[in-house]
Amino acid sequence: MSGYVEAGYSVVLVALGGYSISVVVRERAARRRLPAKLPGRSADRTGEDGGGSR
Amino acid sequence: MLRDAALVCGKDLRIEMRSRVTLNQVVPFAAVVMLLFGLALGPDRRVLVPAASGLFWVAVLFSSVLAVQRSFALESADDAREGLRLSGLDPAGVFLGKAGAVLAELVVLEVLLAMAMALLYGAHLAGVPVLAASAVLASLGLAAVGILYGAAASGLRVRETLLPLLFLPVVAPVLLAATKAWNLALAGTPDRADGWLSVLGVFAVLYLAIGTVAFGSLMEDR
Amino acid sequence: MTAVAEALSQPEGSISALSETSGRAALALRVTGTLAVVGVVATAWLGLFVTPNDVNMGDLVRLLYIHPPMAWVAFVAYGIASLSSLLYLWPRTRHPRFDRMAGASAETGVVFTGLTLVTGSIWGRPTWGVWWTWDPLLTTTALLFVLYLGYLALRRVPGDSEAVAKRAAVASLVAFVDVPIVYFSVSWWRSLHQAPTVDLTGRHLYVHGSMAWTLLLGFVSFTLVYAWLVGHRYRLSTLRQREADECLTAAVAERQQEGQS
Repeated sequence: MSGYVEAGYSVVLVALGGYSISVVVRERAARRRLPAKLPGRSADRTGEDGGGSR
Repeated sequence: MLRDAALVCGKDLRIEMRSRVTLNQVVPFAAVVMLLFGLALGPDRRVLVPAASGLFWVAVLFSSVLAVQRSFALESADDAREGLRLSGLDPAGVFLGKAGAVLAELVVLEVLLAMAMALLYGAHLAGVPVLAASAVLASLGLAAVGILYGAAASGLRVRETLLPLLFLPVVAPVLLAATKAWNLALAGTPDRADGWLSVLGVFAVLYLAIGTVAFGSLMEDR
Repeated sequence: MTAVAEALSQPEGSISALSETSGRAALALRVTGTLAVVGVVATAWLGLFVTPNDVNMGDLVRLLYIHPPMAWVAFVAYGIASLSSLLYLWPRTRHPRFDRMAGASAETGVVFTGLTLVTGSIWGRPTWGVWWTWDPLLTTTALLFVLYLGYLALRRVPGDSEAVAKRAAVASLVAFVDVPIVYFSVSWWRSLHQAPTVDLTGRHLYVHGSMAWTLLLGFVSFTLVYAWLVGHRYRLSTLRQREADECLTAAVAERQQEGQS
């Protein structure tokens, strides 16, 4: 193979993977911060798991 | 709406007549840009003359950013913006008025700059009706987009850096069409510029329409 | 797509919205994500190892399975972003969820536009011998990229959330209207130049059999990736907004208590 094909596939993999991870990480962080800010009212929400990611 | 537009336009132009900021700062800036292009491309007329209209319009684009920033600097001083909102003027009228004032300033700037272009680059000004028509239509489009984005960015702390980033990609078709129209006119074939004039016209009409409809929601609350 | 629709249909502002989103919508999102990963892996496997080399292009034809899907997703993303912005600007349908949707879709669109440009460039270099050519499609895509970079920069400016949303919606509308004008004027500009043009359509590429299926799978899987990303990005904005709201409420409540004691 010429190297161009590999480069193309890797760029897509790295970019989409990186972006996905950043979104999921930011979402988890936001979700963790949220109940902590609200003592007393967070009881009904502690049961759910961290997020809908894979 | 048109009466409000005339009021706002007159107010902005009156301020400009008294302060002369556009005339004393923006026009010299455009001249400096033209001079720098000349230095960058070298003294060869065979290079400068074909590039003249492109360089002219790039200089106009940069200057229109400054003109729009100036137009909203007027409103931010002494909370004039609140006054404008409280005055009960139709937002569409405010939009058209501010765009009209910027249009008038840009046309004056273009006349002066075209003379500088003829002087510095040795371009022979031919096909003046087409030059004038495309300049007015292009300036109308620039003013409409500029005022729309200027209003979106005004009052933000990052407006100086944000406005060019928002504004310049949108007006890329204006640069393209106006440059082509001027090239054709300067080359002595102004009758072939009709298509580019209509591109400029469509652009101006579309953005004036969007501005007239959407300016209200930018002014409403902040 | 179902995940996105589900997320959009959640009642806004209700405290239970979060747990509802992590119910059915989260399941749909998870299914979308799983399918997307499976689809992308299958596309890569078929594209890299199963499909045949092209007579004219050799193994470069394998870039066919990723580059057009990137461009397709980018345009879908901007279409959805513009539609959401319009719905936000229209007073009767004005709702923060459309603003969040526009932001999520535009951000994902910028990622895919960047990938369109990069993969196109990587494909162009061995095929035409240049990294870049002033083709109408390429030029329009590049302008789209910078237009929406500006849009995202505008969104990132902090401020009253409603004012931010309105500014962004107007900017999105302005950018969207620009796209056909840019495409039209650039293609006309190019057609007048007698420069050596690279024919993007006439690649003499005969797509057949396993190639067609792989290409189709590429389109479907990257669209699923888009749906999954937008779903999560949307939820992230919802969480951030709620965090900001609740911080404010909590702070106000604290101050009030201080005043009473």
